[in-house]
Amino acid sequence: MSLAEPAALPVATSAAPRLHLLKRLSSRFRASLPAYLLLLPSLVFLALFTYGAMGRVLIDALYQRATPKAPVRFVGLDNISAVLADPAFTGAVVNNLIYAVGTAIPSIGLALLFALALSRTNAVSSALRAALFLPVLIPMVAASALFLFIFLPNVGLLDYYIGRLLPVVPNWLGDPDIALTAIMVITIWKNAGYYMLFFLAGLQAVPEDVMEAAHLDGAGPFMRLRYIILPELKPTFLFVIVIATLNAVTQVDHVFVMTKGGPSNSTNLVLFYIYQQAVEHYDIGKASAATLLTLAALMGLTALSFRTMANREGRA
Amino acid sequence: MLFSRRLMLGLAIAGTMAGALAVPAMAESPTEIDLFFPVPVDGKLARDMGTLIKEFNETHPAIKATAVYTGSYDDTLIKTRAAIKAGKPPSAVIMSANFLLDMQIENELTNLDSLIAADGATKDQFLGQFFPALQGNAVINRSVYGVPFHNSTPLLYINADKAKEAGLDPNKPPQTWAELTDWAKKLTKREGDKVTQWGIAIPCAYDYCGWMMETLTMTNGGRYYNEEFGGEVYYDTPSMLGALTWWNDLVYKHKVHAPGATPGPAVSTSFISGNAAMMMLSTGSLTYVRDNAKFNYKVAFIPRNVRNAVPIGGASLIVPAGLEADKQKAAWTLIKWMTSPEKSAWWSRATGYFAPNMAAYKTPDMVDFLNKNPDAKTAVEQLDVAKPWFATYKTVPVRKNLEDEVMLVLNGKKQPKEALAAAQKAADETLKPYNAETSLKLP
Repeated sequence: MSLAEPAALPVATSAAPRLHLLKRLSSRFRASLPAYLLLLPSLVFLALFTYGAMGRVLIDALYQRATPKAPVRFVGLDNISAVLADPAFTGAVVNNLIYAVGTAIPSIGLALLFALALSRTNAVSSALRAALFLPVLIPMVAASALFLFIFLPNVGLLDYYIGRLLPVVPNWLGDPDIALTAIMVITIWKNAGYYMLFFLAGLQAVPEDVMEAAHLDGAGPFMRLRYIILPELKPTFLFVIVIATLNAVTQVDHVFVMTKGGPSNSTNLVLFYIYQQAVEHYDIGKASAATLLTLAALMGLTALSFRTMANREGRA
Repeated sequence: MLFSRRLMLGLAIAGTMAGALAVPAMAESPTEIDLFFPVPVDGKLARDMGTLIKEFNETHPAIKATAVYTGSYDDTLIKTRAAIKAGKPPSAVIMSANFLLDMQIENELTNLDSLIAADGATKDQFLGQFFPALQGNAVINRSVYGVPFHNSTPLLYINADKAKEAGLDPNKPPQTWAELTDWAKKLTKREGDKVTQWGIAIPCAYDYCGWMMETLTMTNGGRYYNEEFGGEVYYDTPSMLGALTWWNDLVYKHKVHAPGATPGPAVSTSFISGNAAMMMLSTGSLTYVRDNAKFNYKVAFIPRNVRNAVPIGGASLIVPAGLEADKQKAAWTLIKWMTSPEKSAWWSRATGYFAPNMAAYKTPDMVDFLNKNPDAKTAVEQLDVAKPWFATYKTVPVRKNLEDEVMLVLNGKKQPKEALAAAQKAADETLKPYNAETSLKLP
């Protein structure tokens, strides 16, 4: 195209680009068609088992039966308000918050401590790392069965030793004041080793030269931790916090095996409440409504934390 | 996540292929039926069930039964309901006896009357084979919905060696609450404030707790629930108040029972280890105690305050609703075979449950067994005073309404009177939809 025929230019741009675009799109589609075909089986199963199930929950949450023999009818948001008005649900939410904070902070703290202590690789630290990671390899259900024995009142492993020191041996899982703490201890024991892995990986990313420079500048171990290591680990922290929070909501195997939410609902967590509504009360509408609420809270939380993470990375 | 999705995909493909291969092979083969069965006590039961079903298939070439293990009683209910919803109900299920009413209310059970009539028997003739105490949980509105398969009652277990040590005669076990309280006091050992041996242990965890409350209430003259109608429970009543107050007294007044809620396995371990000198537990634990106790033990009736009475426990065979006629018939053949005197007796000896079919106790093998193990006889004798297991609309939540409050009492957080009032209120609320449709639906 030359400068001598400028008039031809607008004509060409008015008709051609659209065609061009369509052609480009179709050719792009043709090029990616094999990719979509290859993805199709996965997409079908994803739709069926992930999004399909979520859609079904959404629909189920809007229907309810008035009486056992009555047909299900559309009730709109009634199920959601029924769940919110249920003291068992609010109790489970409170328990779950205590549980989330009470397991996330100690297990992340311990994980960081372990990672810092074992960041240099040698035979001893490798062995210790393996030992700390071991609880992760034990399935939660098996671990719960083990702890069921450890917590047995009077005759269990724990009471056998601690019982000699205390005037009255606690009924670890049978006392509503202690049961949730007992459940939390297991979670911390189980997860600290897992989070340690992330921190170990995070520590590898701390630049060696910065550390050396700080060392030369006379920064002590605490100063290096405070001003170099911890800031460098921020993305790891964010990620682990998200994982820990998700775990606090989705891991209820031990509640199921050890306490069934008892005694007197003191260890009832949100997911177990949903199970109870669906299975024991046989109330699919309420169970779906509680699922939706949980899902919404989790998605909000995850979106928030990943956005914070993206912002941080964007700034850096 | 990714891994599990891939695994599922693989399984789905494998399943489809297996299904495609199996269809032509099935065309001329016998009626295939599934039996869902739970294992509420220990793993050996699954093997025994395999033996039983193998024998059935060998003697019944027209039917091919498959036993499907479905977890605990509660899990079995979940899986059965899921299968019914998916339109593929199992042909027969061994279902916890007190879930039948709830399933019937939800239209999930096949009425067995026509199958019984087709055999040329009357309902009374058919039910007459079983101990009368078991019929209450099998019959709903005068129709048969379940066939008793294996059953239990609560028993008082006594460490005979420790009783002798304390100057008590284990051959004359306590028969009343007063005597039991006295025994428990004598059997409790203390070092200062610390208890080194508890006089008695009574389990309280979801499921067991409700059963024990029904036991104590019944021995106190009460009923716990309306046997004729699924919309009522009697929690806030003198008989239950007396029962819970006595349990509370054992813990906080007499200090012969450990505080807090203790699950069944913890109670039996405590008894086996000598930490508790007596316990109230199911007959289903008898085999476990027999195999593990390193001391002499005695079993006795649950002591009474007003009368001798205990609830039954255990499971019945049911046929889910929505089955094809041929599967229904095949399931019925299987059920009749499994509850026949010989098979019933064999299952009882293998598991420790008692056999619901009265004729089972007249088979020579069973007579032999009882002579060798007289403790198994106590459970059967107690059947004379046994009554049905509580079953209401939404049995599990209604039971939990009581259990949560009992646990608070055993932990010293509530007094019996206010706890039972709260339990009654919660249960009435749970039962409300059913009453709205039945007792309160007025013309």
